[in-house]
Amino acid sequence: MLEFDGLYKAYGDNQVLEGVSFTVAPGQMFGFCGSNGAGKTTTMRIAMGLARADAGEVRWLGRPVDEAVRRRIGYMPEERGLYPKMKVGEQLTYFARLHGLDAAPAARAAETWAERLGLGERRGDRVEKLSLGNQQRVQLAAALVSEPDVLILDEPFSGLDPVGVDSLAEALLEQCRRGVPVVFSSHQLDLVERLCDAVGILARGKIVASGTVGELRSGAAGRQLRVVAPDAPPGWAAAVPGVRVVSEQRADVVLELGPGTDDQQVLAAALSTGRVTHFAWREPTLVELFRGAVTDTREVAA
Amino acid sequence: MTTTEIRPHTPAQLVRLVAGREISTRIRDKGFLIGSGVLILLILGMLVFQVAVNSGGESTKLGVVGGSAAVTDALTAQGEALDTDVSVVDYDDEAAARRAVQDGDVDAALLSPSAAQPELLVEKSGGSAETIAQGAVQGMAVDQQLADAGVQLQSPPRVDVVALDPDADADLEAAVVALVGVVVLYSLLILFGQFVAQGVVEEKSSRVVELLLATMRPWQLLAGKILGLGLLGLAQMLVIAVVGVAGALAFDVVELPGRLIGTVLTVVAWFVLGYAFYASVFAAAASLVSRQEDLASVITPASVLLVVGFVISIQAAQEPTGTLSTVTSFIPGLSPLVMPVRQAAGGAEWWEVVLAVVLMLVAIAAIVRVGGRIYAGALLRTGGKVKLRDAMRAERA
Repeated sequence: MLEFDGLYKAYGDNQVLEGVSFTVAPGQMFGFCGSNGAGKTTTMRIAMGLARADAGEVRWLGRPVDEAVRRRIGYMPEERGLYPKMKVGEQLTYFARLHGLDAAPAARAAETWAERLGLGERRGDRVEKLSLGNQQRVQLAAALVSEPDVLILDEPFSGLDPVGVDSLAEALLEQCRRGVPVVFSSHQLDLVERLCDAVGILARGKIVASGTVGELRSGAAGRQLRVVAPDAPPGWAAAVPGVRVVSEQRADVVLELGPGTDDQQVLAAALSTGRVTHFAWREPTLVELFRGAVTDTREVAA
Repeated sequence: MTTTEIRPHTPAQLVRLVAGREISTRIRDKGFLIGSGVLILLILGMLVFQVAVNSGGESTKLGVVGGSAAVTDALTAQGEALDTDVSVVDYDDEAAARRAVQDGDVDAALLSPSAAQPELLVEKSGGSAETIAQGAVQGMAVDQQLADAGVQLQSPPRVDVVALDPDADADLEAAVVALVGVVVLYSLLILFGQFVAQGVVEEKSSRVVELLLATMRPWQLLAGKILGLGLLGLAQMLVIAVVGVAGALAFDVVELPGRLIGTVLTVVAWFVLGYAFYASVFAAAASLVSRQEDLASVITPASVLLVVGFVISIQAAQEPTGTLSTVTSFIPGLSPLVMPVRQAAGGAEWWEVVLAVVLMLVAIAAIVRVGGRIYAGALLRTGGKVKLRDAMRAERA
C-alpha cells in the first residue's frame, strides 16, 4: 500500500494542504484530480522529498518513504526536466544508474525502454533536438527505466496528442498489471475516468472525494433517470408521486426520484402513455462529480 | 530484469556517478577541448619564445682576403668580447669577396688585414661586423708594434668572480616559472569555475534537478559535480605541467631542472586548493539564479577576487618581498595565486606557507558548509533570483 497520511503544508500564510490522506493499492491506477492550485503537485513533491510536509507522512509498505524507497519510485515532475545536451540513450542509462542499476543492466534497460516508447532511432540524439512529444516520451522512459516499484507522475498526459496518450496509457496499464501502484494527476477527467480504478479529488487542501468511480457515483447525491416517451402528454412525469422533474424537453425528461420511490412505478407510468424509447439511469460523468465535489467545499468554505 | 540487479547506492557511489557524468559530458564538450588546446599551445608558444630569446646571441659571418690563422683568432676573440659568434670565410681575391658581400653570403669582407691600410667591404656601414673588424685589426696592430719594440707579453691576470647572491638568477628563473604556472592556474580556475557555475544553472533551468534530487541529496550532487570537474581540471593542469616541464628540459630553457619541477608541483598543489575554494563559491552563487543570462551577475564578485589575485601575483613576481604580496599571500582566495610566486622567488618562509595553507583550508571548510547550505536552499527555487538570506534559511522548504 502506498499511503498518504494527513499531509499538511503551508507556504507562508498560504495553507496549501490541510490533511491530505489517501491510499493506493499495488496494481491500482489512482487518478489525482483537483482544480489548479489545489495542491496536487505539492502532495507529489512531498512524496518525492522535494518539499517537506509540516505534518503527516507518506508510507510505502508501511515504511515511511525515505531516500532508499524513493530510489524505487519512478517520478515525472510537472516541470519536465532532462539534460538538454545529453543524448537520449546516455540520459536514460544515467537515470537508471541513479536508481541503483549497475552499468550493464542500466544500458540494457535504457535500450529496452527507448525501443518500447518508440524512441529507438532517436537514442543517439540530444534531447534538445527532439520534438516536445518525444521529449515527453523520454521523460516517461526516465521514470520507467529502473523498473520502479511505485510510479508518481505529475500531469503525464499534458501536451500529448491522442496517439501519444494511448501509448502512454498502455504503458501505465502494463505497469499496473505488474503490480505497481500508479498515481497520476490530470485535468483530463475523461481520461482519468477511462483509466483509473480509483480517483481522489483534491479541493482546498483536502481530499473531498475518493474511491472507485462507481463508489463516487453511488455516493453522489440525486441520481437521475432519463425517460423518453414520445407519445406522452406534457407534465405526465410530474404526476407520479415522489418524482421531481429536473428538465423536460418535449418527450425527453430527466427525473430525480425521492427516497423510496420505485423506478418501476415510473416506467409503468411512462408505458401507460404509449411507447417508451429510452429508459435509463443517467450515470454522472466524473466531470459532474468533480464539479459537485469542488463546489460543495466552496460552499462550506464560504 | 530482476530486482536483484538493483542495489541501493551508498553516498559515495552517487557522488561517483555524478562525477562520472560531469567528466564524460565535459570531455566531449567543444568549449573544453578548444580551451585545453589553446592553453597547451600557449605553453608551447612561451617555450618557443624562450628558446628564440636565449639563442639570441648574434652571429656574424666575415669574409677575409689575405688572412691567416692569427687574423681568424683575433676576429673570433673580438666577437666573443661582443657576445657574437664570428665565423670566418677565406676568399682568394677582392672580387670574390665583393660578390659574397653583395650576395649576402657574408656580412662584411676584410681585405688585407695585416697590411698598413686594411679595408672592410660592407653593404652599408654600421653593424657589429664593423666593430669586430676594427677591434681585431687594432689589436693585431698593437701586438705587432709591441713585438717589434721587443716587449714580451704576459697573459694578464684573470679576475675571480665572487657572487654574493648565487641564487639570485635561479630565484628569478623560478619566479618566472611560477608566474607562467599562475597564468595557467588562473586560466583553469576561471574555466572550471565557469563550468561548475554553468552546470549548476543548466540543471536548474532545465529542471532536471527535481529528478536528481528525488534520488540524492543536494550535497551529493554538489560534491559529484565539483569533484568530477576538479579531477578533469587537475588532469588538464598535469598535462600542461608535463608538457611544459618536458618542453623546458628538451629545449634546455632552464638552468635548474630540480627547482623547475618543485615549482610546478607547488603550483599544482595550489591549484587544488584554489579550485576547491572557487568551485564552491561559484556553485553556491550559480544556484541562486535559474537562467544562464543571470549567471554573470552572481559570479562577478568571485571572478573579481580571482582577477585581483592574478594582478597581485604578477606584481609579486617583480617584488616578492613587498608588503602587498606578503599580506595577500595569506588571504584565502588570493593565496593560491600569490603564494606560489613568493615561494618560487624564495621570499616565503616554510611557516608562512603552512599558515597560508591552513587559512585556505579553514576558508574552504567554511565555504563548503555555507555554500552547500545556500545551494541546497536555492536549488529547488526556480523563477527569479533567490535572495541569499532566503536560501540560507530554507533548505527544502
